[in-house]
Amino acid sequence: MSFVDTTAAVISPRARRRRILRRRFLRRPLAVVGLVVATAFILGAILAPVVAPYSAGTTDFNALLAHASSKHLLGTDELGRDVFSRILWGARASIEAGVLATLVAMAVAVPIGVAAGYYRGFVDTVIARLTDVLLAFPFLILAVGLAAILGPSLTNATIALGVGAAPALIRIARGEALALREEDYVRAAIANGASDLRILARHVLPNMLSTLIVQATVAIPTAIIGEAVLSFLGLGVQPPTPSWGVMLADAQSYLSQAPLLAVYPGIAIFLCSLSFNLLGDGLRDILDPRTTR
Amino acid sequence: MTEPVLEVVDLVKHFPVRGFGARGVVHAVDGVSFSIGRGEMLGLVGESGSGKSTVANCVMRLVAPTSGTIRLRGQDITHLSRRSLRPLRRDMHMVFQDPYSSLDPRMTCGQIVGEPLSVQGIARGRELVRLVGDLFDRVGLRDELRFRYPHELSGGQRQRIGLARALAVSPALLVADEPVSALDVSVQASILNLLRDLQEDLGFSCLFITHDLATVEYLCDRVAVMYLGQVVELAPTSELFTEPRHPYTQALLSAAVVPDPDVQRSRSRIVLEGDVPSPLAPPSGCRFRTRCPLEHRSAPLSHEEEPPLVDLGGGHHVACHLVRPGAEETKLLDPAELAG
Amino acid sequence: MSLLEVSDLSVRFDTDDGQVHAVDRFSFTLGEREVVGVVGESGCGKSVSFMSLLRLLPETAIVSGTAMFDGVDLLSVPVSQLRRVRGRRIAFVFQEPMTSLNPAFKIGNQIGEVLRRHLGLSRPAARTRAIELLELVRIPAPDRRVDEYPHQLSGGMRQRVMIAMALACDPKILIADEPTTALDVTIQAGILDLMRDIRERLGTSIVLITHNLGVVADIADRVIVMYAGRKAEEAPVRELFARPQHPYTNGLLGAVPRPGAAADASRRLREIPGRVPSLAELPHACAFAPRCPRADAQSRSAVPELREVHPGHHVACFHPGPDAEAVA
Repeated sequence: MSFVDTTAAVISPRARRRRILRRRFLRRPLAVVGLVVATAFILGAILAPVVAPYSAGTTDFNALLAHASSKHLLGTDELGRDVFSRILWGARASIEAGVLATLVAMAVAVPIGVAAGYYRGFVDTVIARLTDVLLAFPFLILAVGLAAILGPSLTNATIALGVGAAPALIRIARGEALALREEDYVRAAIANGASDLRILARHVLPNMLSTLIVQATVAIPTAIIGEAVLSFLGLGVQPPTPSWGVMLADAQSYLSQAPLLAVYPGIAIFLCSLSFNLLGDGLRDILDPRTTR
Repeated sequence: MTEPVLEVVDLVKHFPVRGFGARGVVHAVDGVSFSIGRGEMLGLVGESGSGKSTVANCVMRLVAPTSGTIRLRGQDITHLSRRSLRPLRRDMHMVFQDPYSSLDPRMTCGQIVGEPLSVQGIARGRELVRLVGDLFDRVGLRDELRFRYPHELSGGQRQRIGLARALAVSPALLVADEPVSALDVSVQASILNLLRDLQEDLGFSCLFITHDLATVEYLCDRVAVMYLGQVVELAPTSELFTEPRHPYTQALLSAAVVPDPDVQRSRSRIVLEGDVPSPLAPPSGCRFRTRCPLEHRSAPLSHEEEPPLVDLGGGHHVACHLVRPGAEETKLLDPAELAG
Repeated sequence: MSLLEVSDLSVRFDTDDGQVHAVDRFSFTLGEREVVGVVGESGCGKSVSFMSLLRLLPETAIVSGTAMFDGVDLLSVPVSQLRRVRGRRIAFVFQEPMTSLNPAFKIGNQIGEVLRRHLGLSRPAARTRAIELLELVRIPAPDRRVDEYPHQLSGGMRQRVMIAMALACDPKILIADEPTTALDVTIQAGILDLMRDIRERLGTSIVLITHNLGVVADIADRVIVMYAGRKAEEAPVRELFARPQHPYTNGLLGAVPRPGAAADASRRLREIPGRVPSLAELPHACAFAPRCPRADAQSRSAVPELREVHPGHHVACFHPGPDAEAVA
């Protein structure tokens, strides 16, 4: 229920909206934290060649499984490689996989979901049932299965993750399209004589944008974890390319001697996905027109 | 005799219901006929479940009728495909009830009003801008509002945008589905005045759908009263209000509240018992019989036969077994008697 | 002897646009067995004022003023004490009967919940009383209906059930916020009759919040007209309609189509130019001045206080009086 009608004359519509969104964002500390940390990871990944003290493969046989020191901020692994650098380099694989997989998923899911939700009828029934079947499989199992079929590589892992994430997104896109087609302004567009294509492009998709953005922000951490799992299983990134999942896998053998080797990549995965999650939560809240603060 | 702009003949619309509990058919509209002449405003009045909005959707071909005929300017549009309908959409347009959901929140008001013009290929570029400016002017909006988004405008302003959009293509028929019900009282007045002025200036015909009788009296030339999917009475406005024949019309008129305490408190009221029956299972025969104060007089005929819409002369039609033309005393339904 | 005395009630909201003054120094009294109609359009503060009395507003609301009910200030007592008043001594009926009832429970159960909680009745006793209440609100076959679910009832019936729930503990005051707005005209008539009946038989005082002047003309004893969070005019009902003083009231009365007006084709509905002001700032001026045909330098520089122009008839206006184009 809205208690107050706050439509007042403003400077410019876009500027005002940006101002409101910014204010709402700043009132949500968790979302801010999410943004900051996620940005830090992204920057770390992009700037790895510049920031990382060592390259991913540089070994130092004089300092195997070393503790944290001034030379090696987080110590070294079983081959003397600097853990901190490998975390940074590993961020590249994870975030690249995470973001690309999500884009793949969107590119697949949105057209299918929108077609199902907007046209309904037989097309919808088929798509909805197929999606339901796919949704019965846990995402990771689906992704692992696909990756195994495609063969181990980062590209294939990305594709597998993307396809695995698609069913859930299809359902969301379908739901949005279903609701939007009932809106009066869509009926008005039909009354204008607009073609379906025009209606979808001009009216339906733009109004789904907020939801899609939020879903993407939430899908990325899932994909990041997925990449870690695939790499852990040997289905993703292949050595010597670092990835947090690979680091975890390698650390298994040294748990008693150097347990921190497992902890660092674990924390990285945890923090990275959590930050995207918080950001997504905050975005969902902020972009909802019904939010008053 | 010029042909009517809109002709609706025996319109039927049924919606199948496939739910867990309920299964069946919603008889939203069951045999509605009327026509609208050039420059005429026909009011379609009814309460919830009467089917008036469904009639609007059928006329606008936003849904396909189950059966019956709809003729727009003489052309049968009942079963035309989307593609064939497209050019004909220049001849009719609609104003919606909800000023919030009838405008795309992601488009500027100028774009919204201009869309019918560009979709129909009527104008582009500078010409389009000029026409949009004209339309804004016609509906009493400042030109700078074309750059604003709908959520920045008030409800009344949004309805003006809706009107501007609907009139952009200069349609012969405007369908207005409860255009002021969601607005404040003072704003309603300005929109109603605007509609009246526009109709006088531009000469379009209008199907005005509402539940508010006072508005209909103010705006419309003729009125059709609907109950449970059917037209029960159709007459010129003044006659409907001074000489209502159908018991439902009379009950409706007596139930409407009047903003005048002396008048309102001294009126006697016809109270209808019971609820509106469900459109899933309309009563047999006369649909109004379950609530009709005169049911005892029309039974058993009213249980078995649907009363046909009968012409009483002077454009006044009534669907009631107790009302017949030609007899000496056709006023079988004396309001005084009904008032008790 | 007034039941409820509200003084200088003000409500502000914290929103994206800063502070919004929804209600500004609203005062009124409610007597026993009285029906007061509170009229205004959207954003005038009529709902917010009354919801604030029972603290039904969200946390972003800042409420000040006093509301004396039975020797207690509703706005400052602890919530635990307020709970004994809510639903029991002062009851609220909302606009949307579709969403006010819980679809998962039978209506007898929902009415019974109020009875069990406030009056401590046992289940069987509560059920009996629920049936009595359904009868009171004139629902046919109450002993059958009591076991039905909300979706089995029509809108009008649901609203009657809401009223039954409100009356369960025999409250002194019933606040009804747009109780008939979502209902059909013929159903509305029945609900208004019911409210009249309630006042007669049970002696309950009723506050009827609405934007519909016809409804107010039908059952109110006294009418308060609100605009932009302030009281614009207050008068006994016949007096208000016969001699409206505030230009806004005049505008409202002129904006409503009257039956029998069809004969006069030249008569136009009265329009009020402009729009409701933004409540984000409280200007030091009459809130209606930008839209008022009588506005002058005084209206634009000072806030008019309520003055009594006729016995019992108060207006907040520097230029009160009926319009030149008086309502027929």
